[in-house]
Amino acid sequence: MAQPFPYTYYACDCFDSNTAASASRAAQTPADDEDARTFDPRSPRSNYALYPLEHLLYCEDCQQIRCPRCVIEETLNWYCPSCLFEVPSSVVKSDGNRCTRNCYNCPVCTSPMTVSSLEKPTEPSATGGPYILACPYCHWSTVEIGIEFEKHTGITNQLSRIANGGKTLPTQKERDKERERRKEAEARGGIGGRDILSGSEDSPTRDGEGNAAPPGHDDIFSNLSAFYKAQMQAQTPSNPFSPHDLNFSSPSTYSRIMNLYSSTASKKQKREKPALMREAASALEGLALHDPASDIAAIERIKKEGWASTLSPARKLAQLNPHVRFDSELRPTASLLCTKRGKRCRSCRHILSKPESKITSTRYKIKLLALNHIPRLSLRALSPATTTTTPGPSHPPFNYNALRPGIPIHFLLHLSNPLFDPIRVTLATPSTTPGAIASRITILCPQFDVGANTDVWDDALSSSLSPIAKRSGDAQFEAGKIYDRGRNWTAVVLEVVPGFVTPLGGKRDEADGDVKGGGEVDADLLEIPVFVRIEFEADVSVEERGLGDSRGSKGEKERREEAFWTVLGAGRIVDV
Amino acid sequence: MSSQPTPSRPGPDRRTSTLQKRSSVLPKPSSIVLDVSVLIAQHAQLTGTHAITVGANSVLHPHCKISSAFAPVVLSEGVVVYERAKVGLGIGDSGEVGGDSRRSSVASARDASSGRSEGTLLGNNVVIETNAVVEAAEVGEGTVIEVGAVLGRGCVVGKFCTVSAATVLAPNTNVPDYTVVYSGVERRLDKTLQARPELQEMKAFQHARQIEMFKKLVPNQVVKWM
Repeated sequence: MAQPFPYTYYACDCFDSNTAASASRAAQTPADDEDARTFDPRSPRSNYALYPLEHLLYCEDCQQIRCPRCVIEETLNWYCPSCLFEVPSSVVKSDGNRCTRNCYNCPVCTSPMTVSSLEKPTEPSATGGPYILACPYCHWSTVEIGIEFEKHTGITNQLSRIANGGKTLPTQKERDKERERRKEAEARGGIGGRDILSGSEDSPTRDGEGNAAPPGHDDIFSNLSAFYKAQMQAQTPSNPFSPHDLNFSSPSTYSRIMNLYSSTASKKQKREKPALMREAASALEGLALHDPASDIAAIERIKKEGWASTLSPARKLAQLNPHVRFDSELRPTASLLCTKRGKRCRSCRHILSKPESKITSTRYKIKLLALNHIPRLSLRALSPATTTTTPGPSHPPFNYNALRPGIPIHFLLHLSNPLFDPIRVTLATPSTTPGAIASRITILCPQFDVGANTDVWDDALSSSLSPIAKRSGDAQFEAGKIYDRGRNWTAVVLEVVPGFVTPLGGKRDEADGDVKGGGEVDADLLEIPVFVRIEFEADVSVEERGLGDSRGSKGEKERREEAFWTVLGAGRIVDV
Repeated sequence: MSSQPTPSRPGPDRRTSTLQKRSSVLPKPSSIVLDVSVLIAQHAQLTGTHAITVGANSVLHPHCKISSAFAPVVLSEGVVVYERAKVGLGIGDSGEVGGDSRRSSVASARDASSGRSEGTLLGNNVVIETNAVVEAAEVGEGTVIEVGAVLGRGCVVGKFCTVSAATVLAPNTNVPDYTVVYSGVERRLDKTLQARPELQEMKAFQHARQIEMFKKLVPNQVVKWM
């Protein structure tokens, strides 16, 4: 996550809470044990644990921050992004995750298509003329694949009935009927002479043309799925829990019952194993044999129409049938549905974020953000010029990308408290930053209070926190004293002495010109790990009271304490 | 300025006092041939030394710029040029700002003879949308140059093409008829329009209705240029 300096990242606890992690940690060198306690922003694992405060949620039951890896998402509702129509999840389970109304995307450029009418303004027709789907961006339309619609609604139904070129596609019922009829015709025609590639002999009218064209993608699919359904039905007993059910349609049940009642030796050879499941054996069952003639036809077509008539892999794969090759076989793709999701805590299943169920509203019913429970730390450089008078145009702004090593730089760490109670903050940081370049960090005031996030008027009326007079502009940073405070924030000073990128007077080991210490990427990045611990007294909520507590005690405060690691990105150290 | 009683045009020195604030400092074109049915909105600029011809029923929206500084410009019938569009050679980046560089680019315009006469020709019913820059040599009929497109000099665009928004065509590109230029460099043939002439008729019909609408809504300042 590249952010401009200075930034603050918060570490989620999930990065070191597993036992697996501790087991692997035992195998590490003792030097790393030190790092196991202090947070090392340079370790590869911390890459996955650091998030800006805006990305984090907070679970009130567990009283911990939850990063995007510690939450479970669940979909609340499905909707189409172009027509904004909510699709119930039962319909999604049966019809699929695409819009079944009129929302289609262009197969060429993926922009949403519009339904336009082909009627001539001079001769208006009854229904408003034939309709087509047209793309307003690349001007592709269903005219190019030969499809026109009669009505402008229910495009999905109409599209499923028409193949490219205007031929009608049979529906599922018609396919079933046709399949049954053909099966009977084949069974009647006898077993001999049944050649797979040629059609059945005694087929009347329709089959002549049906066998000339190879079965389409959808035909093969429907044949195959019907075949597998039949196989599975034959295998599993209809009711596994009643052995006395005389259901002879399932061969396994039949054989089992027959074995029960006829256990004489003479019948043993008649005992057959139940028929194994077999694969499809004919075109009617979904077997699609590869026909080299189709390849030759495709090659001839490329020779005739040119390379531009073939489809690129991206367009092919976006189609429902990814084996199409030519742009006359393109079909409009229905828009994918989008979801609205809520998030839950992974450990206690408490809802952390829940959007409103209305599709068009972007608000949230429940929104437990870390912003409202964790103090916000922000870093700002405090160059001596800015403390005196207001910086005029002659003072250059502080360059975070060019921190000079060896010179102490002061940063202002600003903590703002979102809670309604005053908190006591303790900060801790290792004295030198981990990593190749060791910069010395000193927090001048490691323990201080921050006021509660009360209303502005409350604070003005009461004077619990005596207002501290504005600093009279001196540049003294005293250890043990805060720099400034306000109603719900406090600022303290951090003194940083950046380390040297290349060791002073040291030899350069690398032969190449890359002088970053240790050859690491971003070794000159000054990141300060700070451990923040806040203590406060909060009202005890109803669920947290134990069973033994009396109900009458209200307003009882309980001490609470929270702690987390943060990483303050201060800048980049230049090589002097 | 429109209240000039004499039909003859006064000389440039007498004109400067009544110049609109926003008109360019280039001399007025030597000849503007306008059809009577042309709609020129106010603040449209027709500048340059060569001839500008505007065909019947064309519409020039406010703040559009037609420049014939280097070569004549011909707009055929029914051409609609939207606001802030620029038509004419040298009007885009290829023509630098400034007087002396203008001389050099005029010289280069004469030297770079591409075998066809220099000039910009827009065919019938061409639509140049907002902020487009057309320095092309020829734009065929029915073509739509969408918002922000840039056609380099010497481009030849066929008829019923669509140059989609913000596309930049390099100088001297040739776009065949019925092509859609989209997505930067992609091109495809608009087979729908090609295969169905009734769609072309419908487009022309809707185009004509749009021009009627413009005539009703946009005040016409064509007398200023007659």
